[in-house]
Amino acid sequence: MDHQYESLLAIGVLIPLIGFVILALFGHRFGKPYASYVAFAAIVISCILATWVLVGWHGTGDAARDELTKNAYRYHWGSMGDISIDVGVKLDSLTVIMFFMVTFVSSCIFFFSIGYMEGHSDEIDGQSKYHRFFCYFSLFAFSMLGLVVSSSLLFLFIFWELVGLCSYLLIGFYFDKKFASDAAIKAFVTNRVGDFGFIIGLAMVVLYLGTFDLDEAARNFSTDFYAGTGIFASSINLFGWQVSGMTLATLMGIGLFCGAMGKSAQFPLHVWLPDAMAGPTPVSALIHAATMVAAGVYLVARVFRLLTPDAQFFVAVIGCITLTITALIAIVQTDIKKVLAYSTLSQLGYMIFGLGVGAWVAALFHLMTHAFFKAMLFLCSGQVIEGCHHEQHITKMGGLRKKMPFTCWTFFVGVLAIAGFGIPWTHAGLGGFFSKDEILAVAYERTYNWHDTDAPSESHSATSEPPSVKAVSAPHQTHPPSETPEQHAGSIQPVRHAGSTAFTEGGSDDGIHGGTDDAHGGDHHATGTPKKTGIAATLPALPKWMFYLPIIIAYVTPFYMMRCWWLTFCGKPRDKHVYDHAHENWKMFVPLVVLAVGTVFCSYYVFRPLIHHAASGEMGATHTPAIVAFDGTAKTIADAGDKMMMTLTHDEGKDPHHALIGLVGFAWIIGIGIAWLIYRNGLAVGKRITQIWPISWCHRALVQKLYFDHVYDNVLVGGTIVLGAVAYLFDKIVVDGLVNLTAAFGRVIGIFTGRQLDMPVERYDIGLVDAIANGIARVAMGIGTVARRPQSGRIRTYVLIATGSVAVVLAAALIAGAAD
Amino acid sequence: MDVFEQALGFYLFAAVALFSAIGIVVTKNIVRAAVLLLGTLGGVACLYFVLSANFLAAIQLIVYAGGTLILIVFGVMLTSKSPFVVFTPSRVQIGIAVVIAVVLATSLCTLLLQVDWSATATDQPIVQSPQVKVVGESLLQQYLVPFEVASVLLLVVMIGAAYLARPEN
Amino acid sequence: MFPDEFYDFLLDGVLTIGLTHYLILSVLLFSLGILCMVTKRNAIGILIGVELVLNAASINFVAFSKYQTGGLDGHIVALFIILLAAAEAAIAIAIFMNFYNTLRTIDVDRGDELRL
Repeated sequence: MDHQYESLLAIGVLIPLIGFVILALFGHRFGKPYASYVAFAAIVISCILATWVLVGWHGTGDAARDELTKNAYRYHWGSMGDISIDVGVKLDSLTVIMFFMVTFVSSCIFFFSIGYMEGHSDEIDGQSKYHRFFCYFSLFAFSMLGLVVSSSLLFLFIFWELVGLCSYLLIGFYFDKKFASDAAIKAFVTNRVGDFGFIIGLAMVVLYLGTFDLDEAARNFSTDFYAGTGIFASSINLFGWQVSGMTLATLMGIGLFCGAMGKSAQFPLHVWLPDAMAGPTPVSALIHAATMVAAGVYLVARVFRLLTPDAQFFVAVIGCITLTITALIAIVQTDIKKVLAYSTLSQLGYMIFGLGVGAWVAALFHLMTHAFFKAMLFLCSGQVIEGCHHEQHITKMGGLRKKMPFTCWTFFVGVLAIAGFGIPWTHAGLGGFFSKDEILAVAYERTYNWHDTDAPSESHSATSEPPSVKAVSAPHQTHPPSETPEQHAGSIQPVRHAGSTAFTEGGSDDGIHGGTDDAHGGDHHATGTPKKTGIAATLPALPKWMFYLPIIIAYVTPFYMMRCWWLTFCGKPRDKHVYDHAHENWKMFVPLVVLAVGTVFCSYYVFRPLIHHAASGEMGATHTPAIVAFDGTAKTIADAGDKMMMTLTHDEGKDPHHALIGLVGFAWIIGIGIAWLIYRNGLAVGKRITQIWPISWCHRALVQKLYFDHVYDNVLVGGTIVLGAVAYLFDKIVVDGLVNLTAAFGRVIGIFTGRQLDMPVERYDIGLVDAIANGIARVAMGIGTVARRPQSGRIRTYVLIATGSVAVVLAAALIAGAAD
Repeated sequence: MDVFEQALGFYLFAAVALFSAIGIVVTKNIVRAAVLLLGTLGGVACLYFVLSANFLAAIQLIVYAGGTLILIVFGVMLTSKSPFVVFTPSRVQIGIAVVIAVVLATSLCTLLLQVDWSATATDQPIVQSPQVKVVGESLLQQYLVPFEVASVLLLVVMIGAAYLARPEN
Repeated sequence: MFPDEFYDFLLDGVLTIGLTHYLILSVLLFSLGILCMVTKRNAIGILIGVELVLNAASINFVAFSKYQTGGLDGHIVALFIILLAAAEAAIAIAIFMNFYNTLRTIDVDRGDELRL
């Protein structure tokens, strides 16, 4: 079958929709346990389809995959002027693995929810909401899967809004509680701010690139860049500010990124995500940790080819700020779900930062690994909260290891994964180890090794070369001697192994992979440095703080996660009531174990190669510069025909974490160790530390979440109130004044004319006008007395009589006509 | 669009519109009626798409489903003491109403089936692509007077509604 | 199995959508609107009925515009209908608000006096 993958994915999207429709219409008839089975069955079928596609796709060769991507089916839905609106599946490696990830994690969480909802009251006003929960979940699964497979930005946007709606509905699931409905509104409104930017970006894409299709937009964008046409030729005058084409393109990228800022809760729109924890825990796990918040990252990855270097830099800055401040706030949180929420924010910041610095593969790889372990961590927290009688504060827990061993150890796997557990210099390690270090490695390259790629290359003749790969090895590069981080870290010097900088040029579609693998084997030697063509020429080096902040946070992450785990599960019980109540529910730990296995095994060897392939497909079509991977043996740029993709590599094996091993390789054990030292005897030591002067000050600021909510409340809400007051005064003085003036004018005229007309006809008699008026009134009253009989005053009777007469006359006429 | 798509679109959306309308008439809960109205309006909007009136369909969705319907829902919210206040007319009234509606519908259907519409039919398709442009131009040229009248009407409505709905003092 | 006329009917009358189909749909919607106006005692229900009737009318216009000569005139009229419906709903809701404030109910049958 020609389009079997598209069909399977499309069916996989639609099955949860069917589940939603069934539950929406008949959910209340199913009753308590059965409604959940419908939703669970739907998502499991989707997951089976996704696995089928993933296995098939994994077994397909690169060339065959590219062919499938290129020929994916599109249905022409309609046109808007010259712009065609097509419905289709964006069939590539990224879609396939995202689809698998979403369905797999969803299946686990749906199963968890069945157990979770057993212990929760689900009645409001005497009406059960049980089926509603699974109904919304199914709708969410449908919209999220639709978002993943959409080939057109328009449909991506539609599904984008749908997942936002589901998020709103599920955060506010306990809408009779004030904090839940407030949190739902906050999430929705904050997302609107981001979506406003998204719409502007979307409008600019349509206006300047003339298409909704992701691939076509990227193609047009790169063609326009080289030809200097389209968006790059236009300039607009914005309130006296002459905006050049390049700036417009940057604004377009930033606009699209604004959507991601809202959905992925990036600074300064990050405030909604911690509040969103008011929803039920499975919702937090599925929507606000694993899938929906990752949709922002997914969007940036999808529109990455439309981002100019300036826009990329903006993305990186936002990501860097987010990952830093939220990780710091996470240190002081005492609510177990809030810790996880801020840690989610921080990890999302890493992903966004990774995309911003060009680490496309690493960022998406991090998205996948994060989805698994964060969903697991949230489910563990759900298990803990459920077991502890709805107690969420880790200060009241402790010692739960004995009561809930499964939860404890799966949680610990999650802690290790997020901390980046791995044994340096080996391939052993959890997903987070590879993905986070790879982002940092690319950031390192962009900070310190960027300057030596500026020089134009002299020796290549692009398209006439045969498909075989030519490697051009350069003499040993000079590095900034003193500040390079590996010198801080001691004697390990992996980055220096990148002694050779090579330029790889492939004439065929598989140039990138060939270039990566065969770079060393190339026989054509010449001096030269990688060429940065096109937009890449303006890609700037990163400032140093944007490299060091993520490094520091790599140490903070294991610290707060270990703190959370230790305070919850180890030490002595701090609250007897909570401890006595603690128990485990098997329906809830089965998915935990499944996710833990997923976290440990299926990340590096399955996902990463596919993402790497997706990168070659995405970047292959355009000139967008992206250091998409950290891989292989030498720093290379593949520039095959119209391709532009850089692969930064080092010759110390193939693992990205080798690059920075000395700097962050031991971060997980140091962070965990410090946390253990401070919290091993409970809260006392930690409390004492926070009383030391400068730390106490920071502590207070962090507990207040760095005052973001205060500022927003005072500036935005207060500002709106002030604006309202001003508008009211304007209305009162100017508008009402005008109205009153007109009225006064009319009155004067009325009095004047009245005096003239209403002169008495005879003495002591009424005026002429009055006499006429009274006469008319008397006649009218006479008629009215007669006419009021059928006027019952009932509108419905009038309508009945009117239509009845029409019907009778019409029927009579027709019958008469037929009789003739 | 080919014949099959036309037929599929028509029957699907007509069914949505009709069944929602039947639901509106049958249901006693006014909130449900308001929600079902969305089905009818959306169905009709989709029928406009099938009739290649894209612009009109968009306007129908934006103004009707987005504006008027919200207004109605607000009306429901503001005028019901509890969401489940139900007023039912007497059975006699309902019976008379149903008879009249059926007679009306059948006679109108008979009437329009007797006419041979093909005599005045057109073969020329509606202009697809610059439709918005054409509609806009004719609004500001051929239909300028109604357009302006409509704008004045809207102004009057706005003032009138604000006047009527203001609190008593 | 069936006479040829049946297949002709199936092809021309059922599968080929013509003006008549839309007109019949419009008639049905119109009748349902009338029914809604007559059987609802809630004022908002009556308003909903009116909206159904107006929609039925605009389907007519648009269908005529497509299947009969006249270009886009039908679209323009339908546009005005939508506009009028919005205006009418705004005024109607305002009136209902007043009605409700005065009589403390939204039942139209209670409003059969011209005074309080």
